[in-house]
Amino acid sequence: MTTPVLEEAAAAPGGTPRAAPSRRRASRRRALNDALAGYTFLLPNLLLLGVFLFLPLVWAVRLSFERTGGFGDGEFVGLDNYIRLFGDPIFWQSTLNTALFTVLTVPLSMIIGLALAVLMNSVLPARGLFRTIIVLPMVISGVATALVGVLIFDQNIGILNKLLRFVGLGAAPWQSDGAAAILSVVLVTLWIRCGFNMLIYLAGLQGVSPELYESARLDGAGAWNQFRYITVPMVGPSTFFLLIMNVIYSFQVFDIVYVMTGGGPGYSTSVLVTYAYQNGFVTRDQGYAAAIGIVLLLITLTFTFVQWRASRTRDLVE
Amino acid sequence: MDFNRRVFLGAAGAVTASGVLAGCAGFSRPSGSSGADELSFTTWGSEAEEAAFRASIAAFEEANPGTSITLNLVPYEQMFENIDAQLQSNTAPDVFRVDYSTLGAYSSQDQLLDLSSYFDVADADAFIPAFWRAVQFEGTPFGVPHQTDTSAVLYNRAAFEAAGITSVPDTLETAWTWQEFEQVAQQLRDSLPADRYPFAYNWQQAGVTRWLSWLFQAGGRFLEDDLVTPAIDSPEGRKALDFTKSFFTKNFVPANSSVKSSTYASDSFYSETSAMLFAGNFLLPDVDSFANFEWGATYMPRDVRAASDLGGNALVATASTEKAELAAEFLAFMVSEEQMRNFCAATTELPTLQSLVGADIDFATRPDIMPIFVEQATTIQESDVAQLASPDMASINTVLSDQLELAFTQGQSTDETLAKISEGIAAATA
Repeated sequence: MTTPVLEEAAAAPGGTPRAAPSRRRASRRRALNDALAGYTFLLPNLLLLGVFLFLPLVWAVRLSFERTGGFGDGEFVGLDNYIRLFGDPIFWQSTLNTALFTVLTVPLSMIIGLALAVLMNSVLPARGLFRTIIVLPMVISGVATALVGVLIFDQNIGILNKLLRFVGLGAAPWQSDGAAAILSVVLVTLWIRCGFNMLIYLAGLQGVSPELYESARLDGAGAWNQFRYITVPMVGPSTFFLLIMNVIYSFQVFDIVYVMTGGGPGYSTSVLVTYAYQNGFVTRDQGYAAAIGIVLLLITLTFTFVQWRASRTRDLVE
Repeated sequence: MDFNRRVFLGAAGAVTASGVLAGCAGFSRPSGSSGADELSFTTWGSEAEEAAFRASIAAFEEANPGTSITLNLVPYEQMFENIDAQLQSNTAPDVFRVDYSTLGAYSSQDQLLDLSSYFDVADADAFIPAFWRAVQFEGTPFGVPHQTDTSAVLYNRAAFEAAGITSVPDTLETAWTWQEFEQVAQQLRDSLPADRYPFAYNWQQAGVTRWLSWLFQAGGRFLEDDLVTPAIDSPEGRKALDFTKSFFTKNFVPANSSVKSSTYASDSFYSETSAMLFAGNFLLPDVDSFANFEWGATYMPRDVRAASDLGGNALVATASTEKAELAAEFLAFMVSEEQMRNFCAATTELPTLQSLVGADIDFATRPDIMPIFVEQATTIQESDVAQLASPDMASINTVLSDQLELAFTQGQSTDETLAKISEGIAAATA
């Protein structure tokens, strides 16, 4: 007695014309089943992304072409909201403030994050404790951290000004001077973000082989050269990821600014998202707010695309 | 049927997805308003207000067996964003609480229940006219005035003694004129160290409309009688703005107490950074708890006339409620004399019923000081209320906040500030 499998196997070497299509059919069926299984696994995520990301995005684009009064259907006004943006000085100031905030927070938070990661990757005593302390602001809500920021930077009763007065320096105008206000927001942001950057860099560092450092030391490389020529290039993929994420976070900053300064004094800390919020939820001009949001999306996408094309170390591995 | 891994995962996925979608469908709907005799009521509130609302609801349920009111308590900061979203998605509560300046944004866009058929002239006459005016849009009532509050001046007794200020006005008629108030502030300025200030004004963030009290005191207005044409660019407007700008240039107020500041005026009073505080009566329980020093109260300064801010809130029903009758009945119950008296006594807030003006309400906190606020509230005139209840107040507030901030902190000139506020008001009311 022979089994069908054996029959097929016996026929295969001869290359009978009936066997090949049957194999192709089986292979196609397997591929189809695999694809089906893959999509089944993807389905919950696709569903969530579709409902909570892509659908609102399409809606926001539509809304940005409408004039709205808070309730009911909007009136289609074409590009009016976008044209209005160009002549709106507060929009431009908010854009400049957002860019300044990004330029200050992204490099500084990444440098501090990398430095902390190198320190935590070394033989520092009580590393676990320090890691926890550094990561702590990241796990607390942004609003709560910002409220702590208010307690620190309140210019009359804040801890920092009390400390400055105690050591004989004058109190700084954290809440009434534009430059000092933006500095206070940047400092609190660095405090929050360093923990995340440190974690990602730490993961990257732990994937770097110790042999690389050992051979560099044998070749006479000092600590700085090891850092410059081994550590920095080898954490390239982490740097690429962090750069994209930090720029997106900085462009989307809202809670810290909203709670700490409310965009003031004047408009000196107004950023794109606080300005969009003001228009969308306070004055109920949702169409204009949506247009600001779409401009923000385009800026972020452009930056990500340019960085994706320009980064040479994003996929660097040993 | 074979029960293999793929079937199991498929079933699990389907169950999860249906669960997620079912959850999404109901996440924003206030709970507990599905039955014919059930209402949902959304509000924000302090601890005292929450307790007082619960007591009123219990009394209503007891008086109307079979009815049930579900109270949804939300933070003030999210209140109107939630309500807007719920109104847009047709999931709004049956009844909600709203301040007089925000009410117009809803009533003018047909979002609230017209109460004309539920409240007759006699009912309307029971309220102080200014507050009944505040709940109307184009002559139609869209809510009931539940309570009010207004500002007066609290002062630190020790700081006053140190500055040699031995008495404060004890009647509305003898309230400080602007000049007298300025002298008091200067006296305090001279006696206080550089990091302490004569006073702090409560115009931060949503309180920016309280700047208008100075405009009203100077005899000015920000809208003409048609409630559309800007009227702020006037000699009275100039006088009010110059006077309030001088608070910053003369170091009378902390530099971080401008209209966009994240620090409320009350914080600087509690920490004794400011010797006086312009404060609403609703704040008295907090002041009583946090100010660890002897303090007293007096009236707002006056110029051409006395004026103060229109605080307080109305209760409204949504136009889409399926239980209009019950909602109107609940609103009427909440503003009955007994309920209003109890609510005001427990929360240190002021009544809006004529019958309770001058009545002996047993206020829970500082009953010795409350008569000052009761009397101060009588300085709010109907013409002030008509302007403050404009349906465009949200946009007008934004313009006021932006431009006053520039005038107070960035040195923007009075003429430019008034011109820009005027331009902003014209755009908002167009």
